[in-house]
Amino acid sequence: MCKDMPPLEKAIQFHGHICPGLLMGVRAAEFAQKYLDIDPDQDEELLAVVETNSCGVDAIQSILGCTFGKGNLIFKDYGKNVYTIASREKRRAVRIAQKYKPQSHPDSLRYRELKRKDSLNEAESAEAENLLGAIFERLMSTPFEELFTWRDIDFSFPAKAEIYPTVQCSVCGEGVMEPRAIRNGQNYVCPDCV
Amino acid sequence: MCEANVYLHRDGQEELLMESVDRIIPGEDNQIFMENIFGERRVVKARIREMELVRHRVILEAVPEEPVQRHTEIWLEPETAHGHFHPGEAVIIKLNKGYNMQADSQAELKDPKAYIVKPEGTRELELHAHHNQGEINLTEEIDGLAQIYVHEKGEQERYAAVLVEVGHHHHHGTQPIGLPLEIIPTDYSHARMGENYEIQVLKNGIPLAGAEVKATYSSTKNRDYPHHLTTDETGRAKLFLTARGNYLFSVTDENIISTFTLVKSF
Repeated sequence: MCKDMPPLEKAIQFHGHICPGLLMGVRAAEFAQKYLDIDPDQDEELLAVVETNSCGVDAIQSILGCTFGKGNLIFKDYGKNVYTIASREKRRAVRIAQKYKPQSHPDSLRYRELKRKDSLNEAESAEAENLLGAIFERLMSTPFEELFTWRDIDFSFPAKAEIYPTVQCSVCGEGVMEPRAIRNGQNYVCPDCV
Repeated sequence: MCEANVYLHRDGQEELLMESVDRIIPGEDNQIFMENIFGERRVVKARIREMELVRHRVILEAVPEEPVQRHTEIWLEPETAHGHFHPGEAVIIKLNKGYNMQADSQAELKDPKAYIVKPEGTRELELHAHHNQGEINLTEEIDGLAQIYVHEKGEQERYAAVLVEVGHHHHHGTQPIGLPLEIIPTDYSHARMGENYEIQVLKNGIPLAGAEVKATYSSTKNRDYPHHLTTDETGRAKLFLTARGNYLFSVTDENIISTFTLVKSF
């Protein structure tokens, strides 16, 4: 991978395609980086609490380095485009919430309508491409305060993710993280076999 | 009742497009967005012909599609996925003939000549052309940034230019090559998606104001160029980059078509 890959490109490569939700996540991640004056996470210096599992979260993961696998991405299934980014080093956290807009832009409505279709004809494909271009420009050019609200919050940092021993499930024979296994006398049973 | 029925007037007949419409928003490029009280939405390419507000009728008329003016052009595309080559890699530049970054299988390259422009002077390059495609191998030629251009003579003079980069460099203030008609980047340094990119059109070295510059990208599904820009009094025009892959800018003046390929950094 080349050095100097811009955040937007990182997010697109990670997510696989460009979409409005991802771009909103890019705006939030880039804002958090600047606001907290932080570098992308290497080893859990940062922590993200995301209140959605939609496209924007992939921007948080790829740009800020708060990832599912590292354990510094905490998912709360609230269905809200809200991202709290915290820095252990700075002892600061910012909660970024996408503003509610009762009426979507006609471009966005039409784009969603097209994306819901099973297949698009040639004219519709071109229309969807042009709409996405217009939405892209609008989302990346709109002042941040028109898209999101943000505030500093008190944040109690959890301990860094622990690495637990693996034990063997007495039913299927597969390895399972000890705290997830059910103890049955001298044996362990994995959640799948309970 | 304040909603209206929307009709499309065509060949003296009126066709009902949507009933109980409560929002009509004219958009760019003769698009009209409408939404009715049931939440149904539609976008049509039309303009408003008449509004009969007492009778709650809005009559649209279709806008005839302008025929696509297809002037076959040539353009250059480096064979790299992310905008530059790494030292030691094969540096191959493809020459294409067609329109809107779509090669035309009917087109024939007519003895095109390729050149490399370096501070010490301009030199012709070996170009292998066959049918509507050509190839230039620059592996032994470049370290850093180089300007490459191709010229195809004829009744229609065609030029294609590109900046080729080997390694990671930052470049500002690219000098014009000196073509009769050319597009140059005003500040070439790792053009990226999500940013504005500015070009300048020069005719015999002098900024060309009011010129139409068309812009497209390699992944477009549009039959015609998706972007049409007009140069300002300094010959400059800007485009916000929203697509992956390379962009192509094209300008026509009198009998010359000149293209510039923007190779994005990633």
